[in-house]
Amino acid sequence: MSHDLLPMLREQVRRIEHPTATTHGVVPLGVAAIDRALPGGGLARGALHEIFGTAGDEEDGALAAAFAAGMLARLAAPADTIVLWCLARPDLYGPGLAAHGLDPARLVLVRAPRDAEILWAMEEGLRSRGVAAVVGEVGTLPDVASRRLQLAAERFGVTALLLRRWFNGGQAARERNLPNAAATRWRIATLPSRPIPIPPFPSRSMGFPMPPLRHPRASEGRGVAGTAAVALGSRWRAVEDGLVSQVEPGVGHPHWRVELLRCRGGAAGCWEVEVRGGKVREGKVADAADIVSLAATMADRSQAPVGSNVFASDTGSERIRRTG
Amino acid sequence: MSLRQTPGRKGSAAPAETAPFATVTDAGGQRLLAAVNPAAAAAGLAPDMPLADALSFVPALATAAAEPAKDAAALRRLAEWCGRYSPWTAPDATDGIKIEITGCAHLWGGEEPLAADLIARLTRQGIAARIAIAESLGAAWACARFTEPGARMLILPSAATRIALAPLPVAALRLDPATAQGLRRVGLKRIGDLYAMPRDALARRFGVAVAQRLDQALGDLPEPLSPLGETPARRVRLSFAEPIADPADLALATERLADDLATRLAREGAGARRLALDFHRVEGRVERIALGTARPSRDPHHLAALLKERLDTIDPGLGVEDMILAVFAIDPLRPEQLGFAGASPSAGSTGGGGVATLLDRLGNRFGLAAVSRLEARESHLPERASIKVSVSEPAASPVSRRDQGWRGNDGAKPPRPIRLFEPPEPIEAAWLLPDDPPFRFTWRRRAHRVRCADGPERIAAEWWRPDGSAVTPGKGLPHAHVEGANVEGANVEGANAIRDYYRVEDDEGRRFWLFRAGLPDDGQPLRWFVHGVFA
Repeated sequence: MSHDLLPMLREQVRRIEHPTATTHGVVPLGVAAIDRALPGGGLARGALHEIFGTAGDEEDGALAAAFAAGMLARLAAPADTIVLWCLARPDLYGPGLAAHGLDPARLVLVRAPRDAEILWAMEEGLRSRGVAAVVGEVGTLPDVASRRLQLAAERFGVTALLLRRWFNGGQAARERNLPNAAATRWRIATLPSRPIPIPPFPSRSMGFPMPPLRHPRASEGRGVAGTAAVALGSRWRAVEDGLVSQVEPGVGHPHWRVELLRCRGGAAGCWEVEVRGGKVREGKVADAADIVSLAATMADRSQAPVGSNVFASDTGSERIRRTG
Repeated sequence: MSLRQTPGRKGSAAPAETAPFATVTDAGGQRLLAAVNPAAAAAGLAPDMPLADALSFVPALATAAAEPAKDAAALRRLAEWCGRYSPWTAPDATDGIKIEITGCAHLWGGEEPLAADLIARLTRQGIAARIAIAESLGAAWACARFTEPGARMLILPSAATRIALAPLPVAALRLDPATAQGLRRVGLKRIGDLYAMPRDALARRFGVAVAQRLDQALGDLPEPLSPLGETPARRVRLSFAEPIADPADLALATERLADDLATRLAREGAGARRLALDFHRVEGRVERIALGTARPSRDPHHLAALLKERLDTIDPGLGVEDMILAVFAIDPLRPEQLGFAGASPSAGSTGGGGVATLLDRLGNRFGLAAVSRLEARESHLPERASIKVSVSEPAASPVSRRDQGWRGNDGAKPPRPIRLFEPPEPIEAAWLLPDDPPFRFTWRRRAHRVRCADGPERIAAEWWRPDGSAVTPGKGLPHAHVEGANVEGANVEGANAIRDYYRVEDDEGRRFWLFRAGLPDDGQPLRWFVHGVFA
């Protein structure tokens, strides 16, 4: 009884403090450490969330798009609703989105030449019925526009994701630190991937096609995405002199630093996550899995230490360990 | 209809109507009168008269330079305005307008009221016009220009065409001056003279044009009028006793027209795809709102909302006297249950009214091609495997979609980037051995050191497609039909060649999808491109 009471009271206090933060409920991102940092235990629905990358990715927007795709995949919504994605450079690639868990068939892309028009299209999307979420890729974001979007998202209960995509470093430097009304602000950065350990395989260098390698620990749910290319080619890794040479293993799983820079009603945080490929079963994108498959090593720097070093999540395969 | 425009009417410095006035054009060093006003005509001046002669007749003649381009534009606008009488209107040469009123006259209570209405409105705009209504275009043309100058309108009963044309000069047959001159020289001065002539003899001597024009004038040969704009499939019209200019009134009228149109389309089981709402202003101009819908629609609220959104682009001028809502493209649309009275009007079964309305609004702002879906395609070429299809195209059926499902990075196939650049962007790369990935590359002026790589994955052009050849040099791109995929210039050969793709990671952990165009041993220089970025 008492252990039910405490979260309830906490929730009540939080509601008094932040009346609108989670009016429309939350979407757990599936990574427990991150969810714990978010008020209500997940990403607020019906709110504006801002995502951007770092360095060169501020221009390409690949990390932001992938992170957004993962979020959208978890926004369980009626099947006939659409996700409106407004952008200026139409370079989104369906198979890549599917790999991050978002079914591209639900997307409607709107290509608009200028930021102001993208913001207009986003607001139209938020006001419309039948839209599950709205995504917009903008460079400049006037504070007023962000407030309008936040209000519209709140009023109509539609989640809005704002991907910042700047044309060059100069614009990025100007815009990066301007305040806006987004409920959360995420910065995603790449980290060098860690090698996927593969035992020596004697026939690897022979000149005939090889059967796909199965990772010895695949049965433990560790995913086999990284091994796929072996069947088609080789894996390469830099050796000391900076040249790339043909050694095991090749590119590892994507490795990100996820920073929650700002969170209304919550604290900021920083995590290191590793992304395991989304699972596709019978030609359909498995809805759930896959920002979750963020996992493995997580360094939680700003928060209290994660109590246990093994965290059982819904996929049952994630390990969270505190590192330095 | 023939117009004798009064020149100078537009300029503020134009002299009074009663003073002789003419516009002047330069013709090979000689200055000729282009048009004259009634006062000048009364003084014996006529178009094509040299200015020097004219000034000797009327020393007080006021002149201005002729502006044929502006005149043509004004005539075109007037022809558009005449769309209030019939959808088939077109300007004719420099001083006439052709209107096909078959099937339209009854709306005005007959041909005579129609002509009277037209004359009255043109007079109010300060345009002197003569109107002839006849069985054929040729006869109307002749009567408007070559009958006695007194009458301003002339309606030829269908049986009287032959008799009425007989006394007119042969030039009334729309012949070129040389032919008309030739006919006159052999004594064939009037159209009636030609009736008895054998056609083959006429054709031998003067070409087929004479006989053809004669037949057209007599109505023996059909002469379709090619209208100015596109001919609408359906059209509803609203005329006002008093011109309206208030935005609220215009909005109300728009709703009414949308209602009328929806009723009509519902009766026919059709939905509108492309519409235009024309506002006919009192002063003879037409303003237009043109729009398209992503899916066929006959929801009056939806159509009215789309139109009303653009009402602020319309300048009503002195007032709008007619509004015409025309549909240029319709598609079959099965009858559907609309909401109960008072309920939401767009609760249709086809994809949700909210989304349809949204897509139309977006489509009309950015163009329907800018609002698209991603569709998976069965193709090895990455740029073909995911294409953008405008939402106005019918969606792929679920059955076909199951066959071409999206594949994720499930381990069975090599991973694909989240953003794919079209066209692939060339990079400067350095590599060691022929089949190695680069160990360093420069893209967008930024150097990247490759830390690890997977590959190669070889993707060749799809030779089994007619446009997918890898070997034909200089051929269009295999994916040239894909929207937004226009690889140009230097990239063409690269995109057509065999590509070896590598997934590389630089020392920051950013991942790129690079490919090498061409094979190391075929003598061509190898070129590297970045085709996409992974997250």
